[in-house]
Amino acid sequence: MKLTTLFSTAALAGLLSGTPVLAQDITGEVTLLTWKTASDLTTLHKVEAAFAAKHPGVTFKEVIASFTGDPRGGLRTVLLGGEPIDLIDNTWPAFRAELANAGLIRPIDDLWAKENFDARLDPSWKALGQTDGTTYGVQYIYGDRSSWYYLNKTLEKAGVTPPATWDDFLGQIPKFRAVDVTPVSLPAKAWAHGEWFETLLLRVGGVELASKLARHEIPWTDPQVRETLLKFKQAIDAGAFADANTVLGIEWDNAAEQVLKAGTAGYVHIGMWVSQYSADTFGITPGKDFGLTQFPALGLGHDDTSTVDATEYLAGASGKNPAAVDAFLTFLTTAEAANIFAADGYIVPSKEADTSLYNPIVKAANAAVSGKKLSFVFGDQLPGDLVDEYRVQLQKFIQDPSEANVDVVLAAIEAKAAESY
Amino acid sequence: MIGRAPRWIPLVVGLLSIVWAVPIVGILALAFRPPQDVVLGWWQLDPLRFTLDAWVKVWNGTPLADAFWVTMQAAGISTALTMILTPMAAYAFHYLKFPLRRSLLIVIINAFVLPPQAIIIPLFLLWRDVGLLDNLWSVIIPYVGMSFAWSIFLVKNFLEDFPREMIEAARVDGCGPLSTFFYVVLPNLVTPISTVAILQFLWCWNSLLLPVIFLRTNIPLPQLLTRLSGTYESNFDQRAVAAIVTTAVPLLVFLIFQRQFTAGSLNRSGAKE
Amino acid sequence: MTQSAARVVSANVDGAESREPTGSRRKPVAGGWDRAEIVAALILLTPALVLFAVAVLYPLADTIRLSFFDVKGLAAPKYAGLGNYFKLFADPTFRNTIAVTLLFTLTTTALTVGIGWVLAVLCALAPRETLFFRFVFFTAFGISDAVAGYMWITFFRPDQAGTLNAFLNAIGLGQLQHSWLGDPATAIWAIIATATWSGVGLPLLICFASAQSISKSIIEAAHVDGARPLSIMRHIIMPLSLPGVRVALFINLLGSLRAFDVIYVLTQGGPVRSTETLGFFMFKESFAQFKLGYGAAATVVLLIAVLIISVPAIAQRTAGAK
Repeated sequence: MKLTTLFSTAALAGLLSGTPVLAQDITGEVTLLTWKTASDLTTLHKVEAAFAAKHPGVTFKEVIASFTGDPRGGLRTVLLGGEPIDLIDNTWPAFRAELANAGLIRPIDDLWAKENFDARLDPSWKALGQTDGTTYGVQYIYGDRSSWYYLNKTLEKAGVTPPATWDDFLGQIPKFRAVDVTPVSLPAKAWAHGEWFETLLLRVGGVELASKLARHEIPWTDPQVRETLLKFKQAIDAGAFADANTVLGIEWDNAAEQVLKAGTAGYVHIGMWVSQYSADTFGITPGKDFGLTQFPALGLGHDDTSTVDATEYLAGASGKNPAAVDAFLTFLTTAEAANIFAADGYIVPSKEADTSLYNPIVKAANAAVSGKKLSFVFGDQLPGDLVDEYRVQLQKFIQDPSEANVDVVLAAIEAKAAESY
Repeated sequence: MIGRAPRWIPLVVGLLSIVWAVPIVGILALAFRPPQDVVLGWWQLDPLRFTLDAWVKVWNGTPLADAFWVTMQAAGISTALTMILTPMAAYAFHYLKFPLRRSLLIVIINAFVLPPQAIIIPLFLLWRDVGLLDNLWSVIIPYVGMSFAWSIFLVKNFLEDFPREMIEAARVDGCGPLSTFFYVVLPNLVTPISTVAILQFLWCWNSLLLPVIFLRTNIPLPQLLTRLSGTYESNFDQRAVAAIVTTAVPLLVFLIFQRQFTAGSLNRSGAKE
Repeated sequence: MTQSAARVVSANVDGAESREPTGSRRKPVAGGWDRAEIVAALILLTPALVLFAVAVLYPLADTIRLSFFDVKGLAAPKYAGLGNYFKLFADPTFRNTIAVTLLFTLTTTALTVGIGWVLAVLCALAPRETLFFRFVFFTAFGISDAVAGYMWITFFRPDQAGTLNAFLNAIGLGQLQHSWLGDPATAIWAIIATATWSGVGLPLLICFASAQSISKSIIEAAHVDGARPLSIMRHIIMPLSLPGVRVALFINLLGSLRAFDVIYVLTQGGPVRSTETLGFFMFKESFAQFKLGYGAAATVVLLIAVLIISVPAIAQRTAGAK
């Protein structure tokens, strides 16, 4: 069977490559697998150049996997081809688990200890890079996924300020409606409606609830999960969103337009990239024209939580240049690398980053996330086919948020989950 | 064809084509207007400014000439091969008797329903084993191989109206099956072959799925232009430019080859009038 | 009409069975095969068959093989026998796609080929005058789906930033505004409209070519006999361009079955799977989820379904080896 021999060879190669190296051994080619394009790629080039400046003799060979849709398809195809990869760019915990189980990446706990990453990265970042307790990835950029965006003008028009608590938020709904603004734009076409469910999940039961559910240690019919959907229902019933058909017909970019350009909606619950996107596409200024606020507090004891997305580099087990890989991973945690990302509009986990490089939005997000209990985007922790079913069922819930349907929806997801793990 | 074409025909066709042209006009608008102006719709008339910014960005930011040449080669060679091999095969299937004729034809024609994604991974592993990855032939071979599913059917259908008398006359004159093909049938297949050429060129030129997996260093235009949009930045003005640049050549091919249609092929057949 | 022209026309229009290999005039050898023909067939077919075998048959065989394995992402595949097939038929999602696919495929094909054919017949009488318009239709066909898709998403957006809604508002039909892609009832029709828009160029091209290859003398003779353009179209051009229609039908039908680009760009199978066709399902399972075995099983099922329908059709047309 081609695939198994392929993978066991890769694993064997990984085992044989663990030899100690000296500083001057950091040379040669580093093969880096990513799906990034456009400005993301430009930033990556800057980081590579900075690293190469410190270690002359190191060259980077980029393998850019592109595919229709989910980049993982392209990444998997490249990996299936068996060429030795030194660094793998990744932003899905489920994918990391898949790679770990297939023996395609190697653990970096030793490296973490040896180079004392803990001095530069909080323990929560280490946890985010782990699968089953073993550390594989170094997070180098992240995004706050528990935040809402708003246009200052719209809030002024409705006469409100960003809500601190859930009840505040519910109270604002009629004020928005009074000035003909949809309180919240909910992009439910593909995956972005999950943001609401996921942050509510954290607020209801904390990070533990989310991770247990992601690992299917509790069923989807669990009362706390049900409570999450009922909270969502509360917002729907209060008129926070447009009607189901509209909501199911828009994507995150349409929602961003509605909130940050057209001013026809008040808030959108979406990730950090919208900040840069909006600045570029709508020509608005972070802080001056638009702002960021965290998902309001529910008061159920878990409001010190936040969802984040993070991107990491993984060390390929078949890589030919482990010394350079280790040095690069270390470099990523240092101030120099962190500041290159920060200057380009990213938020970085490294404690050594110069936060003055952040624009007001990014600063707000960074401040909001620091010290919170972090959960990785819930949807990215779930196995493939379950995510699909989960998103479709959430759409069905939005179409019919009755209590009876809540149970139907949860049962359907649970049925799929039973066969997915 | 007739002396004077009825005037209502271009009118009717023209009206319908206006409807069809709307999205195309949209793409042109996106390519020539600043992105901030068109965020709420490319038809927004206020303000109405035009700019070549996106064109400049695409020209400067991407190695267009190289990609252009790669695409030209891939599409050109694939089209030429299909143009040569398809009539040969169609003739054989239509006029010659040999074992497995019908089964082969059925397999080839039904292969069209096979989605290109089903081809990718097995071929990827095959090319890797024989060292054809990152080689232009890794896409040309599938382009040509997959084209037979529809091209043989197309040409064969044209053959169904081909007058039997000519074939029989050739046989009577002592022509073997091969000479009959070269001298009698082939010259009259200009129209279907031109059709096949237009379609094959278009599809190979636009093809994205295969090159993206098989090619790394020398990549064709569509693949290059996917790099214009980042994960979360749409750059739709540059993408519109990309669309225009990419579509221009197959449109040219269409204009050139469709002129071959107007020859009524049976006129040159030599059939006794 | 001249006598030979009449013979050609009658031979074509009486719907006689397709021309069949007449075999050579020489007496057939034992078994009915003529060696010269077989050799000729070998020479003519081998290059094409080799390329076809490498590019299509080999992956097809691999797809069939994969369909018997359970592949989850990059994990080692596990042999599953007919497991994928049982799962497939028990899978309500798969069953849902069959209904959606039938609607999408049949409607799109009928509309696309219908409109394309009528246009082709019209243009056949005025080829030079309609060149620019044919060019427009072909452009619509030739623009890659990714970009066209972006235009179409904008076209169907639920709010004022959607072309269709803005247009309806502008002409005073504002109350008809809708979330075309968000309402499960209308989403599939939006997809059909988009697919028709981009697809018409193909039957137009093929049927036009087919119509153009009708002998000028027939048309001129009819014109001389005083036939009106509409009548010429109905009685001569339409029937004689049927070969082109057959090809266009085939390409559209089979193409729609495996199509996923349009759906991916516009709705990704949603909302609530109302636009998830078989083609999209196969793509999703094989590449989004990387369940290669399961996607392969769906592909095999599709192939068998198509074979079941097409074998009698093709066999009938190529029947009667004399």
